[in-house]
Amino acid sequence: MRLGALLGTLLAFSSACLPSTFARSVTGDRVLVLVPAVEAALHEYSVFLDSLERRGFDVSVRAAANSSVVLHTDGDRLYDHVALLAPAAKRLGAALSVQDFIDFVDTGGNMLVAASAALSDFQRRLAVQFGVEFDKRGTAVIDHSHYLRTKAPSNHTIVAASRLSNIPAVLSPPLLADEHRAIYFEGIAHSYDSQIPLLAPLLTGSRSTYSGSPATAERPSSKSTQEQLSGRSLGLVSVFQSRSNARVVFAGSTALFSDALISAEHSANGPFVTDISQWAFQEKAVLREIAHRHHLASAASSSSSSEQPDHYRVANVISYEIDLSVYHDDKWHPYIADDVQFEATMLDPYLRLTLNHTQSADSDAVATYHGDIKLPDRYGTFTFSVNYKRTGLSSIDVQDTVAIWPLRHDEYPRFLSAAYPYYAGSFVMVAGFLALCAAWLWNTEPAPKSSKPKSS
Amino acid sequence: MRDKVLGLTASDQTSLLRLAILGLISVVAIGSRLYSVIRFESIIHEFDPWFNYRTTRYLVDNGFDKFWNWFDETAWYPLGRVVGGTLYPGIMVTSATIYNGLRLLNIPVDIRNVCVFLAPVFSALTAIATYQLGKEVKDATAGLLAAAFIGIAPGYISRSVAGSYDNEGIAIFLLVFTFFLWLRSVRLGSALYGALTAVFYFYMVSAWGGYVFIINLIPLHVFALMAMGRYSNRLYVAYSTFYVLGTLASMQIPFVGFQPTFTSEHMAALGTFGLLQLVAFTHYVRSVASQQHFQLLVRFGLLILFVLGVGALVLLTMRGVIAPWTGRFYSLWDTGYAKIHIPIIASVSEHQPTAWPNFFFDLNLLIWLFPAGIYFSFRELSDNHVFLILYSLFAAYFSGVMVRLILTLTPIVCVMAGIAMANVFETYLDFRREAPAAPEAQDSAAKPALESGDAGNNKGKQRTKAATKAKASQAADTGTSSAPTATAAATTGSMKRYYTYFPKVAVMVNFMYFLFMFQWHCSWITSSAYSSPSVVLASRSPDGSHHIIDDFREAYYWLRKNTEPSAKVLSWWDYGYQLAGMADRTTLVDNNTWNNTHIATVGKIMASDEDTAYELARRHDVDYVLVIFGGMLGYSGDDINKFLWMIRIAQGVYPDDVNEQSFFNGEGQYAIGDDASVAMKNSLMHKLCYYRFGEVMGPKGFDRVRKQRLPSTVELDNFEEAYTTENWMVRIYKVKELDTLGRTHHAVAKLKGPRTAAHIPF
Repeated sequence: MRLGALLGTLLAFSSACLPSTFARSVTGDRVLVLVPAVEAALHEYSVFLDSLERRGFDVSVRAAANSSVVLHTDGDRLYDHVALLAPAAKRLGAALSVQDFIDFVDTGGNMLVAASAALSDFQRRLAVQFGVEFDKRGTAVIDHSHYLRTKAPSNHTIVAASRLSNIPAVLSPPLLADEHRAIYFEGIAHSYDSQIPLLAPLLTGSRSTYSGSPATAERPSSKSTQEQLSGRSLGLVSVFQSRSNARVVFAGSTALFSDALISAEHSANGPFVTDISQWAFQEKAVLREIAHRHHLASAASSSSSSEQPDHYRVANVISYEIDLSVYHDDKWHPYIADDVQFEATMLDPYLRLTLNHTQSADSDAVATYHGDIKLPDRYGTFTFSVNYKRTGLSSIDVQDTVAIWPLRHDEYPRFLSAAYPYYAGSFVMVAGFLALCAAWLWNTEPAPKSSKPKSS
Repeated sequence: MRDKVLGLTASDQTSLLRLAILGLISVVAIGSRLYSVIRFESIIHEFDPWFNYRTTRYLVDNGFDKFWNWFDETAWYPLGRVVGGTLYPGIMVTSATIYNGLRLLNIPVDIRNVCVFLAPVFSALTAIATYQLGKEVKDATAGLLAAAFIGIAPGYISRSVAGSYDNEGIAIFLLVFTFFLWLRSVRLGSALYGALTAVFYFYMVSAWGGYVFIINLIPLHVFALMAMGRYSNRLYVAYSTFYVLGTLASMQIPFVGFQPTFTSEHMAALGTFGLLQLVAFTHYVRSVASQQHFQLLVRFGLLILFVLGVGALVLLTMRGVIAPWTGRFYSLWDTGYAKIHIPIIASVSEHQPTAWPNFFFDLNLLIWLFPAGIYFSFRELSDNHVFLILYSLFAAYFSGVMVRLILTLTPIVCVMAGIAMANVFETYLDFRREAPAAPEAQDSAAKPALESGDAGNNKGKQRTKAATKAKASQAADTGTSSAPTATAAATTGSMKRYYTYFPKVAVMVNFMYFLFMFQWHCSWITSSAYSSPSVVLASRSPDGSHHIIDDFREAYYWLRKNTEPSAKVLSWWDYGYQLAGMADRTTLVDNNTWNNTHIATVGKIMASDEDTAYELARRHDVDYVLVIFGGMLGYSGDDINKFLWMIRIAQGVYPDDVNEQSFFNGEGQYAIGDDASVAMKNSLMHKLCYYRFGEVMGPKGFDRVRKQRLPSTVELDNFEEAYTTENWMVRIYKVKELDTLGRTHHAVAKLKGPRTAAHIPF
């Protein structure tokens, strides 16, 4: 297994140098796929697994019950990505705990979790940690208006979902543009915690979709509708991106990835599964900051290699630059957007302005954002930050703590026009004093006796 | 007088004696301040001195220009502090000058040692300045006595032991010397001395905020003299020179700036200056105008001026041109004011009203001699004595209001006691008429006193001298009376002499005893009460062995070595200067309490529940939280005992979020155990202090300061214990990063399960 991983890495290195026709993950190639039974799975998910292999991943398909499966040895991740396609398994690998999976994500590993109506408690608990709560055991997603008509069971549990969230970072434009798309889904619904900004629903139910017991195959009584997941609040597929930019996809259906539904009539499952797996395994929408710098705007014009000072003075004009690139289709591209903002905060934001995109001279894979900024007329320790968080894209949070000093004692304006009367006053005073002294000293008054008592 | 001893005339002998005595007084003044260095080490004490030390180092390392423009971004994060413009640079510049001077002479010293020993050296100078002052108002005897007193008076030692590197260390010298120069300039009417007064006043302004005392007392003196009809050209010359030069000079200190022109504290000086010009003008007019015209002129003139003056003052104050009195000033008049309106001032122990025993504790014998000195001043009542009396009255009043103002009282008490004591000596050591041998005895008594004097004891010098004198005269007396050739007349004469001598000897023996006890008291107080660095504590175990408790430095050193250099440490403001000085880390608040809101925010963080505190701490980029906890050792100056002040200060700014009453339990007690109020138990301060403390103290553990049972459970999720010192006095917690999955830390902790023994680092 280790050898395989090593080979995979070598392969990744070698192919990174060569122009290749398939996308590759930024973070690594090692994929662990946990399935109930290996042979059956290879058959059932062949299209999906093949596409992973074709995209250059080193895929290890393991049975969930295989007790030799671990995620870490000595604190190092053994895999870069995990796809959980064994929803019913009560225990995974070598008695992996929920915390093991969280550690896996914390250290940058990505996960793709597929559920089904027979979801185990273990995986429910795991999902809850990400703000995803799967519906009660025994329920399934049902839609009596949109369902797979060809080979569907009569209770309409293979739903033809079409309500995709508009997240272009995850979903490719053709899929979003396709009006007649149908993503076939057979499985369990979940509710997503909209309070967590890291989590976003990707595929939700349409107005006629609800979650209920397929045995009754009827809409439940109005009594329990309050707890009933339906419509937009019913999550089918949700995407989660942690603060460390690790990505997790929760899909309520393992069948979503199956050959059967991918090859079904009018099915958009193929492109959809490719999109979410590419996104989850860091093959697209990976945004990164190459470098950022700031310096006095006046210094920039004089010399190109202006140094970054350790402090500024109040109301200095500085220029701030940040280089961004985005990864998709196996290459880093310049990231073009018009909403990259710079912020200077000291407890409260003092400045917040949009940086302009300029062509970077050095590399065609980098977009440089530039802003000439007049610092606030306030001294203190400011945080210069570019906090760029867009759903689906890797988040960028660049922070510099920069002190803004008050003016030096000799930097204040010296001659104020408002003070001219005072300057004049003091000079008149001096002149008057000198004149009086002169008058007193060289005065030759004819009557010296009268002035005598004064002088004594 | 008759003979030359060692080729010196009598007057030369007295000068030599004075010089020697002053020298010995200086030695004793320095020596008695070194207890802390001998007991502990050469270390900077307490809190404020750490700031002065740090800035001095900055000055020495970076030069004056950078120091002057220094903006310290590591203090008051994120507001920063304009250090150059908000401090009194006198003491730093003094130390740096001494340091550079010594370096110039190729004497390499550590700047720390210059700082540690600055205050004792200046106390010797204070003794000399006090001598000059005493000599100015009475004579050399009074001066020497006053010098001896100030050399060892605990009221002054309390702020000037070695290591107590604070503004007061040099300011008291400057205060006394400025007053001395002022009195001399008034006596002589000399513009030169007036200018010198202004120069030393400038030095004083650069060194200590207490300069306000000078700029109010001197005008008061001038005003009193004018009111007493003692206006003279000498006074005019002295005050005009002093005021103009002194005010212009004082405005050069950035921290003072234009204050002398618009704050109420300085208005008295300006007003007196104007009044003095008027009075001078009146005197001039009187000399040229007729009596009738003059009186008319004066009446109308005064009336109009009074109305105009008061009107202008009221108008300007109302329009805010003249700043109204500051809170600190009000608290000088109403001791309850601060507690209600400015808890931050009231929370400082040295701003509390003085308890009566303090006067005796700090001044001992002197406090009894003080009124006698005032009495003697009233008897003479020259211009100088008017000043002494005014100084006595005001200093006595202010010292009753604030503990730390005993410091300004001490010099005048010493001078007054010197005057009183000198009068006693004059009266009871005068044996001239009775015994022809007395002068000889005095001469011979003085010499052994000089030569044999065991230099250990400064005022002992003066005392030994006096005592030897007394003994010698006694010896001469008994010698004559026991002479075999004595006639009957001589016998009756000696009996008569005996009757006159006896009371004198008895009184002197009494006073000698008191002076001896005074010296004893001073040494004892200095050694036991004023020589602890408070950074390092000492304790004595029951078997008598000595223990050094060094938790503060242990914690600061840990921070210095184990945290990011840019880490921000939150603590109560008391420890800000020490954190900056010893741990070299960024602090949110420190002992320069210029921003009440920021301090209240820290108080609010401490008083809030864990989640609110976490949010606020993250907002302020806090990395570590430091609390002082005395429950293990029984150290009563810990944060739980200061907590009520934090709550009060926080409540002053955030009345909606913090409420003092909610921290008392149902019975109105300030409890910390299971019977504590909900707000108390939830507060961050409580959690940080008692987190895991029960594991050490056992299930039935007690807090040794509060003498209360410990709380049974303390849960803490948002903060992580980073370090706890040997005696648990300092506890440092790390503010956890946000969870990568966006969960609350409570949820994370719940998933990880209860903390088990395996997680305990030791």
